[in-house]
Amino acid sequence: MDNLNNLMQGFEDVVAPMNLLLALIGVLVGTAVGVLPGIGPAMTVALLLPITYGMEPVQAFIMFAGIFYGGMYGGSTTSILLNTPGESSSVVTAIEGNKMAKAGRAAQALATAAIGSFVAGTIGTLLLVLVTPVVVDFAVSLGAPDYFALMLLSFIAVTSVLGASRIRGVISLLLGLTIGLVGIDTVSGQQRLTLGVPQLADGIDVVVVAVGIFAVGEALWVAAHLRRRPVEIIPVGRPWMGRKDWKRSWKPWLRGTAFGFPFGALPAGGAEIPTFLSYATEKRLTKHPEEFGKGAIEGVAGPEAANNASAAGTLVPMLAIGLPTNATAAVMLAAFQSYGIQPGPLLFEREASLVWVLIASLFIGNLMLLLLNLPLAPAWAKLLQIPRPYLYAGILFFASMGAYAVNAQPLDLFLLLTLGLLGFAMRRFGLPVLPLIIGAILGPRAELQGRRSLQLSGGELSGLIGGPVSYAVYAVIVVVLVWPLVRRFVVRPRTSPA
Amino acid sequence: MSSQVDERSVEDARPPQGKDRAQYGMCAFLVLVGIAVIVDGLGIPHITSSTDPVGPRAVPVILGALLLLVAVAYAVDVARGGHGEPEAGEDVDLSQGTDWRTVLLLIGAFVVNAVLIERLGWVISGALLFWGTAFALGNRHYVRNLLIAVTMSLTTFYAFAIGLGVNLPAGVLQGIL
Amino acid sequence: MTVLVGYVPSPEGEAALRAGIDEARLRGEKLLVVNTSRGDAYVDPRFAQEPDLAHVREDLAALGIEFDIRQVLGGGDAAEEIVELAEKLDVSLVVIGLRRRSAVGKLITGSAAQQILLGTDCPVLAVKAAV
Repeated sequence: MDNLNNLMQGFEDVVAPMNLLLALIGVLVGTAVGVLPGIGPAMTVALLLPITYGMEPVQAFIMFAGIFYGGMYGGSTTSILLNTPGESSSVVTAIEGNKMAKAGRAAQALATAAIGSFVAGTIGTLLLVLVTPVVVDFAVSLGAPDYFALMLLSFIAVTSVLGASRIRGVISLLLGLTIGLVGIDTVSGQQRLTLGVPQLADGIDVVVVAVGIFAVGEALWVAAHLRRRPVEIIPVGRPWMGRKDWKRSWKPWLRGTAFGFPFGALPAGGAEIPTFLSYATEKRLTKHPEEFGKGAIEGVAGPEAANNASAAGTLVPMLAIGLPTNATAAVMLAAFQSYGIQPGPLLFEREASLVWVLIASLFIGNLMLLLLNLPLAPAWAKLLQIPRPYLYAGILFFASMGAYAVNAQPLDLFLLLTLGLLGFAMRRFGLPVLPLIIGAILGPRAELQGRRSLQLSGGELSGLIGGPVSYAVYAVIVVVLVWPLVRRFVVRPRTSPA
Repeated sequence: MSSQVDERSVEDARPPQGKDRAQYGMCAFLVLVGIAVIVDGLGIPHITSSTDPVGPRAVPVILGALLLLVAVAYAVDVARGGHGEPEAGEDVDLSQGTDWRTVLLLIGAFVVNAVLIERLGWVISGALLFWGTAFALGNRHYVRNLLIAVTMSLTTFYAFAIGLGVNLPAGVLQGIL
Repeated sequence: MTVLVGYVPSPEGEAALRAGIDEARLRGEKLLVVNTSRGDAYVDPRFAQEPDLAHVREDLAALGIEFDIRQVLGGGDAAEEIVELAEKLDVSLVVIGLRRRSAVGKLITGSAAQQILLGTDCPVLAVKAAV
């Protein structure tokens, strides 16, 4: 098959020493970032983006891919060994994982998480290889109206984030769109929202937005509420599993992967839903139901696999269509754009070698992560002893460095601060951050596609409806918007007791 | 036979109960932004052409209108008692009030860097930033922090600015480094 | 009059606790067990979590000694806190556990023991972990 050849070529290219070194750096940074509180892979990619401007794009993306996958591995270590879970995708792992750790089975929990992540990551990346070309073929047939519809769907889907009301998601999205609006309109050349400041003509760089909202906002928020009571960490030796553990883990790994990958590929699928689904399924299918809630290994194996598979899944729409489904994918998309590369169906034609090296490095990175995490998990946990002042000083240090390096203008630092304050306010008022990032990154593209669609129809709104895809997507949008109302006024009154 | 935990915290706990009035502030902010977007949008000359029937004005105006709408819906939600959960996290202890002093110190350190970076160069201003942040967050090992800060700014300067060609100003130390 | 023990959940801390118990008995004084953390780091192995404290409480109660356990969070270094407490309260003896450190280790992280030895007015008993 043609793609396998490409993949092999990718592997050959990846094995260059510099590329391997960067992959190693990426996975090390990614794991560290996943373990440490307050930083996530999305923020880290944004932080490191300006530094990579001097590198070849291939090298930069190998490192980013390592960070992407590494974050998942690090997050599970924290959620198992500590009482509090790390990223939202690791919440479910903590349920059984921490109980296992408390019962003295931390080594097994860590092992099943790491191996499961590896299995899921490898299978997920394989699926990526197989599925993406299919999606690309489909995507080639998409016209501007279809893209516009898809992006609208993304916007709407992302506003209903778990744990926050829809209104707040919309607020966040609109703020993001506003930020994306700043700058020169590409079609007409007019300045918008630049407030007479010439440096704003290029718009607010995505690095400044991402780093400001994520890094600076987080640092300010933590500064305001620094938690003083150290958390209990469960000491653990080297992770390993007995034969019974293997027997109990392998099916959950596969099932978790099956859940995770499709959800990762859907707009706003994210990693939370598949991990919950995996947990519920394992609970139902287990031969040891009494263990759930006290430390059942299936409850760690399944969700962890789902987690990693969904990470692989998010790369499918990102690479094939140019549609990001979570924060890290959004930042990666922006990273591509900053190199002048536009992900989408043409990506595989124009930059084929880049993409295949990237995919090959995912496999290699996955392997490195397994080798690093299995023996070294307890060492990673030691990172948590770094005093927070140093941690956040480091974050602000790199944030300022990166923001300045983008354009060598101090204005960016003030923008960074302003966005940081906005990020602070958003955290205070419970406004989710993801819609803002998606709005800021996708907004300009969506507008472009929208105006192009209308151009083709000479300004008639009907131009927004192009091929069959746009019909289908708009139908979905209508359903998504209307369903909550239907539920409230139609379904509930019917089910109220007579 | 007793035990006691002394928490040296900064302010008393003031958890928001019932209506979180501060959210109206956010509402007002949204209204301001919405108006600003619309005003700016209307200020753009309405240029359309055959290739661009919609023009650059459309999106700002629509966006501004949406912002105002949402601000109203938000106000209604807040009036009904809705509130967003302040983001909890691994590092965050929400039962205490907001430690404004630390936040202001942090902002201060940041602004110092922003203002001085071109004049004094990254090595000095970055080190100041790091030291200031560590200080703001409560770390009192002054000398040790200074050493760490300078090491970091020197290392990053050499590694990134000189090694990778990243834009970092040398400032006052131009020629010495 | 009280005997103040600087406690950490480690062999040194346990040794200090045992020595403190002996001294308190000898002098017929109350025992004050102090555990502190700057609260700087997310994980602090020198901070006694609930299970450790419960353990200490049980032991002391079983021995029938009059005791008080205090945890100080978010203040200064352990040494600073102990010196301060020794001044404020009527402390007749401070008991601490010593870690054997290499010369480089002492250089980088300083010596809490030295701070306590030099900072308090009352006598200080420094014990090593049981081998």
